[in-house]
Amino acid sequence: MIALIGLNHKTAPLAVREKLFAGCQEESDLPVRLTAVCGIREAMFLSTCNRIEILTRIDGQEETLYKLRDFLAASGGLTPEEARDCLYLYCDENAVRHLFRVAASLDSLVMGETQILGQVKDAYRRALEKNSTGAVLNRLLHRAFRTAKRVRSETAIAVNPVSVSFAAVTLAKKIFGSLTGKEVLVIGAGEMAELTGMHLVANGISGIIIANRSQAQASVLAEKFHGRAVSLEALGEALTEADIVISSTGASSYIVSADLIRQVHHQRKNRLLFLIDIAVPRDIDPQAGAVENVYLYNIDNLQDIVDENMNARKKEALKAEAIVEEEVKNYINWVKELDAVPTIVLLRNKVEEIVRLELVKAGSWMKDMNETERQKVEILINSIVNKLLHNPVTVLKEESSEFKSADIVALTRQLFRLDE
Amino acid sequence: MEIILFKLAFAFCLLSTAGYLLSLLTKKVVPAKISTWILVIAFGFLTINLFLVMVNPAGYIKIGSREFFSFCAWVVAGVYLAFQMKTKTRILGSFISPIILLLMIAAAGRESGRSLVPEDMLGWLTLVHLVLVVAGEALFILASCAGAMFIIQNSLLKHKKSSHMSRLLPALHDLDRINHLGLLWGFPVLTLGLFAGIVFAGYTWESGWPGDPKVIWTSAAWAAYGFLLHQRLAIGWKGIRMAVISCAVFILLLLSYSGVRFCFSTLHDFV
Repeated sequence: MIALIGLNHKTAPLAVREKLFAGCQEESDLPVRLTAVCGIREAMFLSTCNRIEILTRIDGQEETLYKLRDFLAASGGLTPEEARDCLYLYCDENAVRHLFRVAASLDSLVMGETQILGQVKDAYRRALEKNSTGAVLNRLLHRAFRTAKRVRSETAIAVNPVSVSFAAVTLAKKIFGSLTGKEVLVIGAGEMAELTGMHLVANGISGIIIANRSQAQASVLAEKFHGRAVSLEALGEALTEADIVISSTGASSYIVSADLIRQVHHQRKNRLLFLIDIAVPRDIDPQAGAVENVYLYNIDNLQDIVDENMNARKKEALKAEAIVEEEVKNYINWVKELDAVPTIVLLRNKVEEIVRLELVKAGSWMKDMNETERQKVEILINSIVNKLLHNPVTVLKEESSEFKSADIVALTRQLFRLDE
Repeated sequence: MEIILFKLAFAFCLLSTAGYLLSLLTKKVVPAKISTWILVIAFGFLTINLFLVMVNPAGYIKIGSREFFSFCAWVVAGVYLAFQMKTKTRILGSFISPIILLLMIAAAGRESGRSLVPEDMLGWLTLVHLVLVVAGEALFILASCAGAMFIIQNSLLKHKKSSHMSRLLPALHDLDRINHLGLLWGFPVLTLGLFAGIVFAGYTWESGWPGDPKVIWTSAAWAAYGFLLHQRLAIGWKGIRMAVISCAVFILLLLSYSGVRFCFSTLHDFV
């Protein structure tokens, strides 16, 4: 049986997540300790800022599930109530579906974010290093990665930015193409401006100018971005140089007037200018957006884009769910193929085929035998083959159940090359 | 042989245009990528076709005949593909490929190999005039198409419309650069082409040609492009203004080459 137990941002408050996270972080050999718990055959431990989960293959006894839950609760120091209220448990098909949805970022706080796949891959890599996974989980994880890849390439779930700062960077790229060599002017030293500035720096802008009422604060931020600080009095000059302007001061009136933009526009030789006003109340006169080659976006405009993109992601999520369902079905089919009965049939067919071919080959030296002697030889061969097959077939039959027999069936198919 | 090559080129041009338009409608880049390669094949067929015409002992391109229009289509396609390799703005093909297809349709409606220029006017200066004027126009077409795309993208960004179309169109800066390069290369090429025509007309036609409506309209369009280039290089016009005026001047150029032909009697009508 495949079982997945854990908690995430939807089921557990931050305090509980923190407690479990801290407890589990201390246990570097958690997967190994998990496999040592009676009944757990394979295990992988996934821990991110929003979820902590254990994926296992266990012997199909309910008792093992309780042991697993107790193990996780004890690792994080959770009270029985917390464990009961916050932990979720999925088995077999539901566990597979949950894992695929997690890898495809359908269960994330920000749906479609790209980090989670890397985190699942890291968790799998750690499990591999500790040798705590086997044939079933290996296949399951590879299927999960394949599902995530399909969702990423066949839907537009991760195409549109869903944060204000990312939306600003995407718009800047729509205006300038590459941001390499572009100059950014940050007016005010607010947190949001800093965050957007960071995204722009990460996208290759060449220089950053910080203009602030307090020169000291501007210098601190300028140093952080390897830029330069100017006073608000020198704003006109800075606007002449800048390609992108981010403003987020706490001023009660406009810092950048439409007239100022018109004045500098000629000095800028009509270069494209992208103004991002994330201040409330606004710092930039809305009329500045009417100047040609000037593109002004305020916080509401950016938020509208984010909302629109979020809705677009939700629509894309429907397509993604269909892909997940398809992949879950594929995986379950594979597991069913591992069911013992078809494998026994394949094994018998293969052996009978070998016997038949060998008898044909032996035809040349058996031609001197009479019919009775021939039949005796065939009976002898079949008897030996049946005796040799008896034990493997019995073991396969004993193990026969959907997930339980997967290991031994996979091994048998590999040993006798039944899939070729 | 030539007719088969022409038909193949025509079919591929049609396919390419359909692919580009599909790309525009479905807002997907893949059909545009495939269409670019289809256009490359069409360009290849046209190149072989024109080469066979050139090596034909009967003479070079017959002005006004099928080969002339297929030559125009070949130049426009060649200029676009060269730009495409440099700028990677495949969606530009959605605007250029219908123009190439129109030229091919015009070519298909013409009779092959029928010379519309008197024998005494055939000479290397005519060829230079023809090649450079068509190449100059092709570059202007490119500049104007980039301008048209700039106008659409500018409108979407100004009105805060984050549509699929906006994502599909190239960045404003890239479109402005294509417009700039189209003008920068198109203007001297057209100038040289017109100059070759003037020299040729000075020797052959002796008088009357400066008042020819087509010459006047072309000179007006040439002056307008010259003005645009001057404003861009000397005054620093950029962006939306250049895009709008480039499109307007392109319409002027279209009038000079088609409208004038039907409305006025011109020395350039050799029928």
